[in-house]
Formats: sequence, structure tokens, C-alpha cells
Amino acid sequence: MRRSTRVKKYIQTSGEVSDFSKLPLHKKFSIPDLLYVGYGLLIVFLVLVSYVLGAFNLLPNDPQQINMDMLMAPPGTGGHLLGTDFMGRDIQSRLILGIQAYFLPGLLAIFISLSIGIVLGVLAGYRGGYAETVITYFTNLVDSFPRLVLILLVIAAFKPDIYYIMMVMGITGVPAVANAIAGKIRVLAQKNFIEAAIALGLRTRVIILKHILWYNCRALLIIQATLGMGEAILLETSLSYLGFGVQEPTPSWGNMVQSGANYFMQGNFWPSTAPALAILFTILGFNLLGDGLNNMLEGKRSR
Amino acid sequence: MAQPLLKIENLRTYFYAHSKQAFVRSVDGVSLEVGQRETVGVVGESGSGKSITAMSVMGLISGGPGVIGGSIHYASDKVQKNLLEGLENYVQLEEGNGRVLTVKKDESGWQKASEKLMAGMRGKEIAMIFQNPRASLNPYITVGEQITEAVRLHSGISAVKEARERAIHWLERVKIDSPRLRYNSYPSGMSGGMCQRAMIAMALSSEPSLLIADEPTTGLDATIQSKIVDLLQELKNETGISTLLISHDISVITRLSDRVAVLYGGAVVEYGPASQLLDAQAGFKHPYTAALLASVPNQQKIRARANLQAIEGEVPDTINTPPGCRFYARCNQITPEIRDKCAAIHPELKDVAPGHQVRCWRFIN
Ligand SMILES: Nc1ncnc2c1ncn2[C@@H]1O[C@H](COP(=O)(O)OP(=O)(O)O)[C@@H](O)[C@H]1O
Ligand SMILES: [Mg+2]
Repeated sequence: MRRSTRVKKYIQTSGEVSDFSKLPLHKKFSIPDLLYVGYGLLIVFLVLVSYVLGAFNLLPNDPQQINMDMLMAPPGTGGHLLGTDFMGRDIQSRLILGIQAYFLPGLLAIFISLSIGIVLGVLAGYRGGYAETVITYFTNLVDSFPRLVLILLVIAAFKPDIYYIMMVMGITGVPAVANAIAGKIRVLAQKNFIEAAIALGLRTRVIILKHILWYNCRALLIIQATLGMGEAILLETSLSYLGFGVQEPTPSWGNMVQSGANYFMQGNFWPSTAPALAILFTILGFNLLGDGLNNMLEGKRSR
Repeated sequence: MAQPLLKIENLRTYFYAHSKQAFVRSVDGVSLEVGQRETVGVVGESGSGKSITAMSVMGLISGGPGVIGGSIHYASDKVQKNLLEGLENYVQLEEGNGRVLTVKKDESGWQKASEKLMAGMRGKEIAMIFQNPRASLNPYITVGEQITEAVRLHSGISAVKEARERAIHWLERVKIDSPRLRYNSYPSGMSGGMCQRAMIAMALSSEPSLLIADEPTTGLDATIQSKIVDLLQELKNETGISTLLISHDISVITRLSDRVAVLYGGAVVEYGPASQLLDAQAGFKHPYTAALLASVPNQQKIRARANLQAIEGEVPDTINTPPGCRFYARCNQITPEIRDKCAAIHPELKDVAPGHQVRCWRFIN
């Protein structure tokens, strides 16, 4: 009896080697990874829906409608699912509209760090020599500036606009991406992989785009991108506490937490708790998405 | 005699060693030929310039100063050219006192010209396999797909399905069990020997005229090594491919080579038919070759419980080259009559038998 199950198991595992692409999902990947990615995708979906709802003004209530008769109404009162804030505005609508502060600006930040980071990383890692020296100096220079100070400088010089803030965030994110890519390329070069690819007659373009960036760096880039989205939200929140985030009356999760926190001690916990939870679950979603995808891509090669 | 497939003449490849603040002459005047359907073995201790010679032929040297001069004539039925044609013009060299003082090289001009000469050569005409095959493969792509990519690149087969069948055919030819299953394996899921078989399949799938194998068995288990050697032997008989086989392992060289070149300090010190050169009993031997052979264990020595001899002395310094023979300091066959010459003048390669040359004053009258 026992023996037969063992034999069966053996056949199954040897089958796994043969045709990975045809296996059901739960055999291809581990359950936690699938849960992580599932949750992450759910958050991405919610963020997208919220963004569209906000952009077309399809909100349950007017997010700017001040109601002095209903200040800080608890959740559920008078058609306000999540209650109202210190000016009687609908928290649910403001939460949904708050995504506007992160979605496009966050994408801009990610785009800037990834695009410039990839170019510099490839130049430093693949070309080496003079380019590498210059790029190393540049990334060290950017890295040595505290990000917050740089942002405050830009705000002081221009205005506290979320796009300026995110541009600075994008640029300060360049060194991490560039160093990660250059490091990966150096490892591949050391292992002879690049030499072998050139000896095989592959074009430089194919080696860099297909073999290095797509296959060897995509997990790393996904992590950078998902971390970037979470970081954009956190950064705006900390700037809101300093008064330099998105400015009232435009809602952002950061300024909602900040203004709501003033009333937290008086027992009105919901004006700050709702956006705080939104921040928590969203950042968690992006980070788990990155982790899960990374594990799936990395796990593939060990099969 | 027909024109050789590959004829390397006076190849010189130098590097700048930052730690020593000096130029090292990793390859310093190597000349050798690989005939059609011939396997030429290159032996020599570690650091003698074997890999750098191979990489110079492939145009893979990128660090400066790199390839300084010489010629590499290549002549298959499809391509005839000197892979270093006109490249000497990009380099200016200043030497003195046995040292390289300065090298001026127009690196980007050299690279561009070299790329032009190498266009259509790598992978298609000359294929290369390396030591540590797993590291030469992309860890994130199945070996089958990687071979398919090579097939589509060089064999004029663009249809994916057909290319896949060809890749499976090659997996079969390199004797990988159940090739259809293995097609979908990632390099990390295969043994080192299987990775090397896959590399060989990838290299030969384009039906190149020349295969350069740089330490193809080094780092593998002894039994696997022997099987890879058998495979190379078999494929050589089947395809008639010419091979430049690099190894520090005399037994591998013995089993595969028709001719052998012994490299010492970046130059060929002996070059001749494998049967004569590798026979420890035969005469006319460079002292270094004799020492190399004496350091290899074989049946007779084991039976006689004879001690293996290590080669005394240090590997040669290629920064300051003394005026005399490079092996002078380690040589144990210097006779009083030739001692002065050995110390003062670098000997030329000299014919000792038809097709057999030795760089030693003992054979120069
Ligand atoms: N990029 C480099 N920079 C400096 N020295 C190098 C470089 N590559 C190789 N060398 C030197 O060239 C010599 C020959 O190397 P190699 O051809 O790899 O030896 P082997 O015969 O063991 O394959 C070695 O002494 C090595 O230190
Ligand atoms: Mg070597």
C-alpha cells in the first residue's frame, strides 16, 4: 500500500519537470505566494476603480460639501458610510478622491526612477570603464542627500505640488535601481554568461533587453516598482504632517490622517483611522504583490 | 597541404595590471594552426595564456589594452579573412628594457573595426564552449528555449516549431536522456555534465566550422569528464568539425588531439603531432613539455610507485621579460655548452622533425 503511493508520487514529481507550463496554478507556485499576489492584485484593482471614480466624479457624496450640522458624525449616520470629518465632509468620498494624489504622481515617480535607473545601470554595468565611474559618482551624490531635505528645497523653490514632490522622489529613487541593475550585470559578467552570449553571436541589443533586463532583472524591477508606489503614499503622508503634502481642501490620505488625528484623543477615531487603514492595506498590498511576484519568478529557475 | 582553417600568427594580447602598475603580456607571440577537420590541443599551466588566446580569436577581449597585434587568418568554405585585418593601425606600442612602457590604443576605433570583422563569425563560423557551463546559460530560460534561440539565430529557420524540433534533435545528438522532457528544464535543474552537453548542442546546432572549447571538462566529476570527452570525440567523427581544445589536463588533450601546442608564458614552446609530443619516451622534447608529462600520473608510474614530479619554480613573469629563454630559471636540462645562449637570447621555434617544432637551444645548432 505504502509502496504504491510512493511510486505514484514519484511519477507526479517527474511529470512536474516535464511540462511546467501546463500545470495548474497551485502546483506551479506556493500557496502563500498566490495569496500575496491575489491580495496585491485586489488592491491594485481597487486603486484603479477608485481612481476612475474620482476622475469622473462618481462619488457617493460631494467630497467638498461642508456640513456644520454634522461635524464628525460616526460611521453610518445620515448616508455617510464612514462618517464625516471635522468639517462635516463625507469621509468615504474623500478617501476615494484621495487616490488622485497618488496614482498618476506615483506612476510618474516610478517611471522616472526605473527609466533613468535602467539606462544608468546598464551603462555602468555593461560598458564599465569611464561611464561606470561617472555614474557611481552621480548615484553616490544623489544618495548622500537626505530625500526629505531635497523635497523641502524644491517645495521652497517652487510650490508644494505633489508632482514636484514625486519628481524628486523619482530622481532620488534612481540610485537604487541603477545599482541593482549594474550589480546584477556584474554578477552575470563574472559568471561568464555575457561572454558566452556574445560568443553565441547574440546582438548586444538582444543580450541587454531580452537576456539581462527581461529575464534576469524583471523580478528586481517589479519589486522596485511596487515598493515605489507604497513609498509614494508614505512620503506624502509624512509631508502632510509637516504641512507640505497635498493642500486642503484637496483630499489626500496623508492630510486626512493629519487633520483627523487632532480629534483622535477626544474619542472621534474614525476621521483618522479610515485613511490610516487605507494607507496600511494599500501599502501592504503593493509590497506583498512585489514579494509574491518575485518569489514566483525566482522559483521558476530552480525547477 | 590544404590551407588551414585557422592560422594564428604572432598574436599578442596585453593587459594593464593595476595592482602592479605594469603591463602584463598574457599572450606574447602565439602562432598556431588548426587544419580542416583537425583537433589542436593547447596545454600549459594555469596563467599561461590559453584562455586569452581563445578569447582573442573570438574578439571577446574588451579590457585594455587587449589585442595588440598579429594576424588570425580564417578560411572555411564560406569565409576567408584575417580577423585582425588592419587592427594594428589603432595601436602604438613603446617598449624598453624588456618591459612594455606605454600602449596608445584607439579603443573605440579598434572595437568598431573588430566588430565589423567579426560580423557573422561568432556562433555561426566559430562556436565556443566554456568551463562552468551552467554559468554560461541564462538561469531563467529553459535549456531547450536557449538552444532554439541559437538555431533561429544561425540556421535560417525562423519558424518556432521547426526550430524547436531541431533543438530537440541536437539534445538527442549530445545524448541527453529523454530530450523532450529535458527541453523544459532550467539550467539549475540539470547537472554540470548535462549543462555542458546542452552548451555543446547549442554550439554545434549552427554547424560551425570551428569549435573552441576552453577547459570543457574542468570542474566536472571524473566520470562525467570522461563521458564529455567521449561525446566530443564522437561528434568530431560525425561532423568533422575542427576544434581548438584548451585544457590544462594532459589526459583530455591526449584523448582528443591530433596536434598539440604547449604554451608557456604566453608563447608556444612546442608544437607538433600529438603522438610524438605526448609520448614521454620520444626524443626532441622541450624541457617544459617533458616536465609537464612527468607530472601526469599514468598506469606505469602508478604500478612502479614512482613519485610524480612537480615543476619546480615560479610561473613566468610576463611584465619584465629577461632577454634569454623564458624557461631558463626553471629548466633542468641546460648543458654547459648552451648555458650562455639560454641566458642571453630568446630561442626561435625550430623544426626537430617534420611538423614538429621546439623552442629550445638544445635543438638549434
Ligand atoms: N583582464 C585582465 N587583466 C589583467 N590580467 C589579465 C586579465 N585577463 C587575464 N590576465 C592575465 O593573463 C594571464 C593569462 O590568463 P589566461 O589566458 O586566463 O590563463 P590560462 O592559461 O589559465 O587560461 C594570467 O596571468 C592572467 O593573470
Ligand atoms: Mg583558462
